[in-house]
Amino acid sequence: MFMHIYKYRLRCLARDREMVFWTLIFPLILATMFHFAFDQLMGRQEAFRPIRTAVVASDAYRQNVAFRQALDALSGPGEGQLIELTVTDDREARRLLADGAVAGVITVGDPIGLTVSQSGIEQSILKAVLDEYAHRYATVTGILEEHPADPGGLLWELGQMRSYTQQISFSSAEPDTTLNFFYALIAMTCLYGGFLGLRNTTDVQADLSPQGARRSVAPTHKLGVVLYDSAAALTISLAEVTVLLAYLMLALRVNFGNQVWYVLLTSLAGCIAGVSLGAFIGTFVRKSENAKTGILIGTTMTMSFLAGLMIDTMKHTIARKAPVLSYINPAALITDAFYSLYVFASHRRFFLNIGLLLLISGAMCTLSFLRLRRDRYASL
Amino acid sequence: MLVRVQNLVKRYGNLLALDHFSMEVGEGEILGLLGPNGSGKTTTINCILSLLEYDKGVIEVFGKAMAPDAYESKRNIGVVMQNVAVFQELRVDENIDYFCGMYVSDAKARRRLVDKAIDFVGLGEFRTFYPKKLSGGLLRRLNIACGIAHEPKLIFLDEPTVAVDPQSRNKILEGIRDLNRQGATVVYTSHYMEEVEQLCTRIVIMDKGKTLAMGTKDELKAMINDGDTVTVELYALQPDHVANIRQLPHVTRAEYADNRLAVHFDGGQHNLLTLLDYLKSRDLSFGRVFSEQPTLNDVFLEITGRQLRD
Repeated sequence: MFMHIYKYRLRCLARDREMVFWTLIFPLILATMFHFAFDQLMGRQEAFRPIRTAVVASDAYRQNVAFRQALDALSGPGEGQLIELTVTDDREARRLLADGAVAGVITVGDPIGLTVSQSGIEQSILKAVLDEYAHRYATVTGILEEHPADPGGLLWELGQMRSYTQQISFSSAEPDTTLNFFYALIAMTCLYGGFLGLRNTTDVQADLSPQGARRSVAPTHKLGVVLYDSAAALTISLAEVTVLLAYLMLALRVNFGNQVWYVLLTSLAGCIAGVSLGAFIGTFVRKSENAKTGILIGTTMTMSFLAGLMIDTMKHTIARKAPVLSYINPAALITDAFYSLYVFASHRRFFLNIGLLLLISGAMCTLSFLRLRRDRYASL
Repeated sequence: MLVRVQNLVKRYGNLLALDHFSMEVGEGEILGLLGPNGSGKTTTINCILSLLEYDKGVIEVFGKAMAPDAYESKRNIGVVMQNVAVFQELRVDENIDYFCGMYVSDAKARRRLVDKAIDFVGLGEFRTFYPKKLSGGLLRRLNIACGIAHEPKLIFLDEPTVAVDPQSRNKILEGIRDLNRQGATVVYTSHYMEEVEQLCTRIVIMDKGKTLAMGTKDELKAMINDGDTVTVELYALQPDHVANIRQLPHVTRAEYADNRLAVHFDGGQHNLLTLLDYLKSRDLSFGRVFSEQPTLNDVFLEITGRQLRD
């Protein structure tokens, strides 16, 4: 009996085109839109062109070998090129500055001068570079005067740029600020499994559909029918989330780290929560089919919004200002489970999220079934 | 008795839908539940099927109290709902197989039953169609096939011919007679008195949740059949002639409207000759002459004072 009801339920749900659109195609479209939006944003941020700079070819410049070498290093072609240098006379340098062809004019003297025609990021970078050079020059000169014994080792040490903090990722993933959007999208897709749960409750209740009436007069235990239908809904929902994950990872190259099984476990728990939410709304909301669908969409979108689907800082704002919401919002629990996989070495927080998700799902399922199991209806 | 309903009371809020309603269905019968819309026919069926709560009464099916978990009784019941109850995402053969499979677990036996049901309702060439591709009549036939594919002993058909074209209607009615010939007991609800007259071996007339009359077609008509009605086409009959006709022997009613004279006789013999002699004697020329038997509508009219299709 299980296979018979399960098989046909799978066909019913998988062939419902409108449902497949909302539960699979729509998240895929959103994922694609997110991808292109973030790609453009990151592209703009990362584009950097060397700062066009003029230096006055004076005698002081020609004699200051150390400074010339420093400028050569900064203007050498390659990934680290910071400035695009033009060595010219004072008049030409000022003309270039006036025409906006260079961001600044460097005049070597004591001190080294920088002439700019306006303030901006490029000018600030040039100033920072010259300040750094002047600072190091003064330091080295001072040390040499006070400790002439071992100048070689000291100068080598000064030449090193050291970082005293180290970035470690436990999931082998590169840090990515856009990931929270994708987590929220997966959470939304899991919760859209609610459409399947909602359809199930409609098709099993005699007072909501003729199909429900026909199934109610059959010699099959209602709990069995509800469980078999739910198994089919869960299968479809999980398959859809898996397709979304595969699309994100393989086509859009979103990096979820190396804990794929945990990602799938989160998706399974999310799908259980989604199907349960749909069943809960379908059972307890005594409104029309359209009204129930509207309530389900509104609920899942609100949950996803609070989990950071539209604003990436929302999740943290809620966690700070109304922490209880983070523990009862299935979308927040799903995104936090992904987040904890990505960030923490321990799985403690991950399993806390999964446990809470299953607890909430269990509560919704139990209440729904207690309502669904009633024997007879007051009216049809 | 396959079905016994005693003193059934069902209220929807303040509305009394079934008022101490009783009926019985014997094995091998086609019982017609006849009544106008809102008379309580569907409510009765839904109470018998344990879909609806009821306030009072006793319902037994196959000699046992009917309940939602009376699976043994349910296994032998087939239901054809008033509303088409099929899944739009399943093809014709899949729909029948799905509902049949809720009664019959053996896949091989089920294949045979599904093929038989498809042949029975004449959907052979549509078996791979989805319901939305079927006409209203074909959809009704699919609805019937889904209800009877598991070959139940007791079948409830709730207005199965509503909004169906004449060809499909005849096919459905023939099918029901076939099912009955094959041994199924049928409970058939309708507000189409012609269907019930044609099909049913016994009839329960109900209104406002009460049994008004019960019996075979002839028994019901005999309740009011204390004579014949003769109708004569006449052009311009004066009221004094109508008054004179009312004075003829055994005449209980005489009415003239729309160039038709309807005269009801209370027993007696040669009533038609008496009437025609009167018309000839007054040189009243007449057209066609009809002699009518009472219909179930007349029975309903006699009992309630209202037309059945009010």
